[in-house]
Amino acid sequence: MSRLREMATPAGVLVSVFILIAGIALARGGDSYAIRLATLAGIQALLALGYQMVFGHAGALSLAQGALFGLGAYMAALVALSAGGSGWASLSLPAAMIAPALLAAIVGAVVLRLETHYFALATLALAQLIHLGAVNWESVSGGANGLSGIPTLALFGIDAARGWPMLLVTWGLVAVIALDTAWRRAGLRGAAQDLARDHPLAAASIGIDVARHRYVEFVAGAALAGLAGGLQAHVVGVVSPDGADLAVMIGCLTAVVVGGRTRVSGAILGAILLVHLPEWFRWLENRQLIAYGLATLLMVVLAPDGLASLFDRALNVFRPRRRAPPLPALTPSATLQPVTTGPTLRARHLSKSYGGVRAVDNVSLHLRPREALAVIGPNGSGKTTLLNLVTGIARPDSGTVTLDSLSIDRAPADVVARAGLARSFQTADLPATLSTLDAVAVGAHTRPDEMARAVAWRALQRLGLEGDAATPVGTLPAGRRRLVEIARALATRPWLLALDEPAAGLSSAERAALASALSRLVANGLGIIIVEHDLDFLARVCPRGICLDRGRVIAAAPFAALRRNADVRAAYIGDAR
Amino acid sequence: MNTPQLLLSALALGAAYALVAVGFVLTLNAAGAVNFAHGDSVMLGGVAAVMLGVAAQAVGLTVPGIVLLPAVILIGAALGLVIGALGFLPLKDRPPSAVFVATIAIASVFEQSATAFFGPAPRSAPPVWHQGAQQPLAMIVVAAVVLGLVYLVLERTQLGRRFRALAQDREMARALGIPATPLIATAFAAGGSLAGLAGALLGHQFLVVANQGPGYMLKAYIAVVIGGWGSVPGALAGALLIALFETFVAASLSAVWAQALLYVAVLLVLLLRPQGLFGEPAGRRA
Repeated sequence: MSRLREMATPAGVLVSVFILIAGIALARGGDSYAIRLATLAGIQALLALGYQMVFGHAGALSLAQGALFGLGAYMAALVALSAGGSGWASLSLPAAMIAPALLAAIVGAVVLRLETHYFALATLALAQLIHLGAVNWESVSGGANGLSGIPTLALFGIDAARGWPMLLVTWGLVAVIALDTAWRRAGLRGAAQDLARDHPLAAASIGIDVARHRYVEFVAGAALAGLAGGLQAHVVGVVSPDGADLAVMIGCLTAVVVGGRTRVSGAILGAILLVHLPEWFRWLENRQLIAYGLATLLMVVLAPDGLASLFDRALNVFRPRRRAPPLPALTPSATLQPVTTGPTLRARHLSKSYGGVRAVDNVSLHLRPREALAVIGPNGSGKTTLLNLVTGIARPDSGTVTLDSLSIDRAPADVVARAGLARSFQTADLPATLSTLDAVAVGAHTRPDEMARAVAWRALQRLGLEGDAATPVGTLPAGRRRLVEIARALATRPWLLALDEPAAGLSSAERAALASALSRLVANGLGIIIVEHDLDFLARVCPRGICLDRGRVIAAAPFAALRRNADVRAAYIGDAR
Repeated sequence: MNTPQLLLSALALGAAYALVAVGFVLTLNAAGAVNFAHGDSVMLGGVAAVMLGVAAQAVGLTVPGIVLLPAVILIGAALGLVIGALGFLPLKDRPPSAVFVATIAIASVFEQSATAFFGPAPRSAPPVWHQGAQQPLAMIVVAAVVLGLVYLVLERTQLGRRFRALAQDREMARALGIPATPLIATAFAAGGSLAGLAGALLGHQFLVVANQGPGYMLKAYIAVVIGGWGSVPGALAGALLIALFETFVAASLSAVWAQALLYVAVLLVLLLRPQGLFGEPAGRRA
């Protein structure tokens, strides 16, 4: 039930009520033009919901959405025209969805790993190819004139005529997609998706398969673009290259940016405005496209979260302030450590070079549960690189990493995290607007929300952070945020934990508290590997340690002996020999 | 056309593309963000050349296009400043994709304004030099002179050194007291004027059409990807390669195939050599 409650945002309710009223008004006295316009708004909403998946939820700035819409329109038109009233006509919409989805699946496999601007360029090139095909492959696409006389939508012998039937089909599809998306994004699962978009590395470190998430959203977004295009072909009856050009793309970008990049209600609102505003601003004649551009620009600069979020903030003024999150009930399964003993981490002969620099050179180490291993060394000695190699963030040039019999040196970070090896970073990447409790609970997002929050509460308790549970993470001081990040790593319920300078930025009292918290975790069965400069802090937690210098292990010993080691002192203070 | 003639027109086209691509890279390096309205600045440069030519004729002057170029360059610089002020400055502390979306919006405003006030039909800008036959040569000479100037400024002046410092490490440049905002504004102005100039040069032979901006944008983009993200000489080489490719494929197959194969080629480059043909690794910088 809490999921349903979280889905019902003020903006969502407002948009739903508006659509209901508009529907009643149409039923009581809407002419065919008004119905057609409302249908086109629904089609635009489907396109925008699809684009939101790509640009909003996956964070991939695709410029091909308009062209994929056009491709869907052409596919539906070709199937409907060649079926000529036979049963095959039912396949027009499936074909409209499958062709763009297939294309996106092929292209996405290659280009989704590219950074923003390269991805945008690749999708723009794809869009231009589709448009070129539409204009020039005349025998199929009808060239610049396009295809006309497209019959109405026929599904299994039932004819969805233009007018009310098509309006209901379109808005029915909008409702299904919108509710499904809102359901998938309610609560912690949405927070996990946002983390994957904003901080992919942090998301991977708590076991989220970021690449898969991006791929699924990109392909699903393309399928929705095709569906919208197919519906458009049936409603309008003609398709032309104009339906695949950049103006369609700009329109759908406008709808999503104006309405709200990640809000389902925002996409629908943006689409309705996009289709209906030109009607209200007839005096602009054909210059409404200028206004679209200006509106997008204004929204990006002034209200980057879009209208839906503005509504929410405005309407929240009238609601009682959200109370602090209730203390989650502690269930037995919310304990952090498994009762059985976890796997042993073994790294053998790891080496990694960047350019000509050997960052890590033939390093071996092992870490068992109930053990704490310190990694020390001067700046630039390869400590963080070593953690990256062990946790799947970087791949070693040579050497192996295993968790018991499982080989993880070629495994991506999310697989390593799911295998039970969690980590923290020097920069704590946390979603600033979430409460501390929820930011930690994202680490356990695969469980039901209540259970995840219970796990998170326990993790906060372990680190003495329960007082901050209701505070927005973004308002915590930097040192505390890093503790929150450690709590999030704990919420994944790891066997082993890799910490990168956990004590930096903490006061001495906080350091002492963290040291004893970590010691308790170790006593309870967790294995910890810590990169840190504060040797007194390490001495309290780690019985043994290794010292790196220029990528090599120069000493491995019980920690007290390590501190006295001459080589270690020389490495830190400078070569005095 | 025979091969030497083809080569000449390819070089002329490449010279204009090089202006577009170098302008794009200058802004990219200074601002650390993609200016998607760059292609539409090229188009508006062409529009400015057409309008100036019409205005000159209206007062009874028949001048070669070269006389109009300084005015076009100034208009381009103003456009660049507008883009920087609206699409970059308010967003400089936000993720690069915000600037990307904002400049897409500006590009759309430019294109739609041109459609509304200049008309959607293609028009021809005045030739750079009187006779049409000398046009390619004139394009090459003008572009070479201007690019030479850009090179001198970048390599031999304090301003150029500051630019390169900013491009290499934004944070460090700021820490050293290099004033970023005036430099970025200068880069937007320079990028805009190079784009405008290119538009005026291209506008005679290839006509000026309101919706041609994204095409030029894509060319600049492709040139920069081929040449290596952020590299000025790379952009120049990339632009020349694109022009050679387009001209010779168009001559042996067709203009449509030239476009289509170019887009396929860029997808292949991104797939096989994302670091560009000669450049630094892709994906490291925003």
